[in-house]
Amino acid sequence: MDWLLDYCAGRLDRDRAALVERHVETCADCARFVESQATVWHALDQWEPEAVSRDFDRRLYRRIDQAQPSSWLGRIFRPLQPLWRPVVPVTAACLLILASVVLHSPHASVTLSDTQARIEKAEAEQVERTLDDMQMLQEMTPAPQQEGQSTKSM
Amino acid sequence: MGASVALDCDAELMLRVKDGDGASFALLLEKYRASVVHFLYRMVQEPAVSEELAQEVFLRVYRSREAYEPTAKFTTWLFRIATHLALNWLRDAKKERSQERLDDVEEGAPVREIADRAPSVEQKLVRQVQVEEVRRAIAALPDKQRAAVLMHKYQEMDYSQIAKVLSCSESAVKSLLFRAYETLRVRLAHMA
Repeated sequence: MDWLLDYCAGRLDRDRAALVERHVETCADCARFVESQATVWHALDQWEPEAVSRDFDRRLYRRIDQAQPSSWLGRIFRPLQPLWRPVVPVTAACLLILASVVLHSPHASVTLSDTQARIEKAEAEQVERTLDDMQMLQEMTPAPQQEGQSTKSM
Repeated sequence: MGASVALDCDAELMLRVKDGDGASFALLLEKYRASVVHFLYRMVQEPAVSEELAQEVFLRVYRSREAYEPTAKFTTWLFRIATHLALNWLRDAKKERSQERLDDVEEGAPVREIADRAPSVEQKLVRQVQVEEVRRAIAALPDKQRAAVLMHKYQEMDYSQIAKVLSCSESAVKSLLFRAYETLRVRLAHMA
């Protein structure tokens, strides 16, 4: 049957086509099949779709542009994309202003040793505060009979 | 030999697209735009939808470019995407629209009368009626039979390629085609 179908579609090689033709000459059923299939084939040939729209490519490339990036991270942040445009330059400007303020302030001109000294001093102060807090906690820890009294919040 | 050369050409173009060559994508688009749109039109039979789906096909081709491997013919891959989208759309549309009755006259369809005019106009009307009958006959086929017939007839694909597109066996494709063409032979017999 597929030979008959291929024969009607014109896709059989020469040898097989010749075999089918000889068979069809002697087989009424196959002859009717070939005739009716040829009718279908001719009818299908009549169906010609309309031309593709002229702006097809333009619309496609616009969709391609809108679809990028394709990463999941990009898809998440894509709705926020219109907001990024003013935010990025504004943020950059703010950072520049802040940097200039910091750099020109009196405290900005410090040497490495000064910075290190302040860090060490801050660490010492922090340790001292921690010890004070621990002592205070010990003093504030209620005795068993005093349970229920609220402790001072840290 | 010619088909093999065409395969190499399309696969080569797609590999260039993979490497970032936009011009190669434009060449593939130029080559297959019409056939994809026409295939989808014959499947869904709505011009606007067919173009939207066709755009989705090429969009997916472009977005998949980095993962592209020429394991099959480019057209097999292309029409697998197109068929998948068309079958999905038809499935979703069936939930919303009612099945057309064979005797219903569609709005905008040509009037079934032979006008008393010059033969050329009459022939044109007759042809319009015939095309309408072909369109309805195709629309009445089950979705997979329709896809198989359209690929077999208009894309000139062989059983093997249609099987790869539909993700089924060759014997299943032959069965689809035989049943589809049998239906069409009965339906269009009067057009002999």
